[in-house]
Amino acid sequence: MKIKKSNVSILLFVLIGVVPFAAAFIYALLYSFGVIGVANNGFTLQFWESVLASGIFFKSFLYSFIIALTAVTISVGGALWITLKFKKQLEKRFLSFIIYLPLAIPGVVTGFFTLQLFSKGGFFARISHKFGLITKASEFPDLVNDGLAFGILLSFVTMVMPFFVLLFLNVYKNERVEELSVLAQSLGANPNQIALRVFLPILIKKTWVLIVLYFIFLLGAYEVPLILGQESPQMLSVLIIQEIKQYDLDKISEGYVVAVLYTLIVSAAAIVLFLPKRKSAYAN
Amino acid sequence: MRRVNHILFGILIGVSVLSCGEKTTQDNEKLKSASWEEIQDNAEGTIVNFMMWQGSTAINDYINNYVVPSVKKKFNIDLQISGGQGPEIVQLVMGEKQADIEQGQVDMVWINGETFFQLRKIEGLWGPFVGLLPNASFINFEDSFISTDFQQAVNGMEAPWSINQFAIVYDSEKLPSPPKSIPELEKFIREHPGTFTISNDFTGMTLLKSFMAELGGGPNALNGSFDEDKYNQLSEKLWDFINNNKQYFWKEGSTFPKEQSKMNQLYANGELLIAYGFSEGGIEDKVLTGLYPKSTKGYAWENGTIRNSNYLGILHNAPQKAGAMQVINFLLSPEAQLKKADANGMDSNTVLSMEKLEPEWKEKFLDARKRQYGPTLKQLEVNAIAEPAPEYMIRLYEDFRKKVIEN
Amino acid sequence: MRINWKSFVLSLAVLLILFPFIYLVFLSLASEWRFPEVWPSYLGFKNWVTVFGSETGLLESFFSSLLISLSVAVFSTASGFLISKAVFYHPKKRILTLLAYFPYILAPVVFAACLSFFFLKMGLFGNMTGVVVAQFIIAFPYALLFFSSFWNAKVKSYEDLVATLGGNKWQTYTKVLLPLAKGLILICFFQTFLISWFEYGLTSIIGIGKVQTLTIKVFLFIKEANYYYGALSCCLLIFPPVVLLYFNKRYVFKKLV
Repeated sequence: MKIKKSNVSILLFVLIGVVPFAAAFIYALLYSFGVIGVANNGFTLQFWESVLASGIFFKSFLYSFIIALTAVTISVGGALWITLKFKKQLEKRFLSFIIYLPLAIPGVVTGFFTLQLFSKGGFFARISHKFGLITKASEFPDLVNDGLAFGILLSFVTMVMPFFVLLFLNVYKNERVEELSVLAQSLGANPNQIALRVFLPILIKKTWVLIVLYFIFLLGAYEVPLILGQESPQMLSVLIIQEIKQYDLDKISEGYVVAVLYTLIVSAAAIVLFLPKRKSAYAN
Repeated sequence: MRRVNHILFGILIGVSVLSCGEKTTQDNEKLKSASWEEIQDNAEGTIVNFMMWQGSTAINDYINNYVVPSVKKKFNIDLQISGGQGPEIVQLVMGEKQADIEQGQVDMVWINGETFFQLRKIEGLWGPFVGLLPNASFINFEDSFISTDFQQAVNGMEAPWSINQFAIVYDSEKLPSPPKSIPELEKFIREHPGTFTISNDFTGMTLLKSFMAELGGGPNALNGSFDEDKYNQLSEKLWDFINNNKQYFWKEGSTFPKEQSKMNQLYANGELLIAYGFSEGGIEDKVLTGLYPKSTKGYAWENGTIRNSNYLGILHNAPQKAGAMQVINFLLSPEAQLKKADANGMDSNTVLSMEKLEPEWKEKFLDARKRQYGPTLKQLEVNAIAEPAPEYMIRLYEDFRKKVIEN
Repeated sequence: MRINWKSFVLSLAVLLILFPFIYLVFLSLASEWRFPEVWPSYLGFKNWVTVFGSETGLLESFFSSLLISLSVAVFSTASGFLISKAVFYHPKKRILTLLAYFPYILAPVVFAACLSFFFLKMGLFGNMTGVVVAQFIIAFPYALLFFSSFWNAKVKSYEDLVATLGGNKWQTYTKVLLPLAKGLILICFFQTFLISWFEYGLTSIIGIGKVQTLTIKVFLFIKEANYYYGALSCCLLIFPPVVLLYFNKRYVFKKLV
């Protein structure tokens, strides 16, 4: 009786958790080879060839990779610093609520808000104008829809850093880093040694899977680069959707080629991350 | 795992095997020869889904606060609006075709020439139906800008809804004499770097079409069916012009706004000195809502800007074709067209012919509120050029991305 | 001296965190705010009145968002909890976990683009049910993985103990497992609610503009360049989670071990 019931659960798991993913992947694969699709006429390698030849995927992947890596590095670094320096203050009643507030802001709103603040007609441009720093809107520096992806990076950091602060504070408490630090101190370690040998290793070791996961999420982010990105290069999700929804019906399959490549890469990352035997991630 | 794989493939195959059926086609054909009374009977009490571009407050207000309650009251039709334009509509129809959906999600759509072209290519439209609508008799089909859509005869497959012309928008206080030709534009952007751009959307591509006509030597240079050689030759000139002057564009041409609304915002902020758009520039409501300064004016390019109409179509798998016809007939009624022409409202030109209307309606149209700021369709008339074949647009989209944006 | 430096940074941080909330409310009250004016020429409740009075059902969007998010949160939390038990007690636990991670890390919008054909086929396109199902598909792996740490040897031994003492399945759940997992279930509910509440890309594809949640509205207003209404819909989008956070915050991390 018991065995049967757990089999039902596993079947449900496969139905909800595995089948849709497999179906989506196979569909994209077939579409990318022109096997399905109203405007296609049967199997062809032409779409794969043209995507690989144009380099559009690699350009976009590299661009997304660098942005995600930079944003995660800044966020984790900043969050570690804040945790190290302010852990005591952040436990106070008022602050301990305030630091949760950024969790209530979704990507859409962050993107919108960043646009309002940093565009050439935005809040900071107005203030600069008021103080006579600029005389025309066009003199304000490019901070959104810009080549260096400043707007995207800023949004990512403001979205991800608060999360890591909360996570590190939590690990700090649960892993008794405080007690360990006191112990190290009584054994003669100086503050720098405590930070580098006790604090950092414990926090990073306990959370690195999550850090990598956040990197992967940012790699596939959609709303923020849609609002704050430029027309070329584009981040992966934006590129895929644009290619799939384009005017030229004969080229839709190229979007599915990019989708297949992207899926393969993140799936490979998942296998590397989660297949080896180890304790599961700290928290989700 | 092996067993899991079996289940998975079973389900996949089950879902993807296409089923066929042709039962509804007969009813559809019957509807084409039905009398208007029969159609009205069929339309009564239906829920009609209308997919349209929702990018303007004035348009949304007209639809939500006038059309929806009116058709409910008059015909007991629940009109439901969903957001979507060109490619999204085509994608939906393609997806439904692929999945063999006989009862589609959407009944009627608001489209223009290149979507018309693509929908016809995949046989996504139902019709001809325009001849069945009583109010179609008021439409000014003698006007070739109404009866021809992107060089394609409309042939009753889509009903004209509004007619308008593309116009360039500028602030007459900041810029007393704006450029009116490509050489003047070149001079202008060199003198005012960073104040002009091309939006990477329908609006921007329409501007590029009129540039191509100018480079081709005259307003009618692109008339006729798509000509590959002509396109290659003229578009090369166009990309040369843009790329040679790229550093004088907004953000030094390193990027372009994705949507015209974004460009409008840049104009409103004073970042751009020149904007442009359909509906004779769409100036009126933006001045009235305070987005644009009151000194904003609109004009047509010397070689002409594009004049076209936009249309309402019924999808091939629309569940409520009769209901959609009833709604479209209402949208073509003098009453609804008059309301739509209100300069403080949606502010869009009627497709009805004044000669065909009853005198009282004609008078009402003449008495309707006029624009205070934007130019009228009549004023731009001498510089009107027809839409070239849809392939020009589709190719421009792709090449603008490849040869300018990604360059 | 050192304390001063720290409190300065902290006050700045508090200001930075509160600033978006204040600015968005402010922007939603503004109108006719042209560059380079630092202060809008109109400030008042005009936008709120029009939006709630006539303009295209923002309130309706709020309630449909609420309905969708609550359904997604209830379904995914409940199924995640129940199904995770079988998954994490299973001998092939590692492979199963890996399978759950695939849909979890894929960008939802890409997932939706590749799934839309099947949704069309099943009549789940362009309606609320479809959006709930699609969001459920991405929230479920999250919920499932969320409970992975719960099903450990300790819990297993509690279950065995109940069985030894003669308790039945029902009693195991109501008297032991649910009370033990209460905190986790609350957090999971909260998080899956937010996943759904904040979702845009997937909803826009599966809902094809017919299901207009709040995030869809925000984008609609951004496209219209109607930033005042945009800010207003942002307010509707962020304040409910703030309220939830206020009541729920102590659960968000603390009970995770």
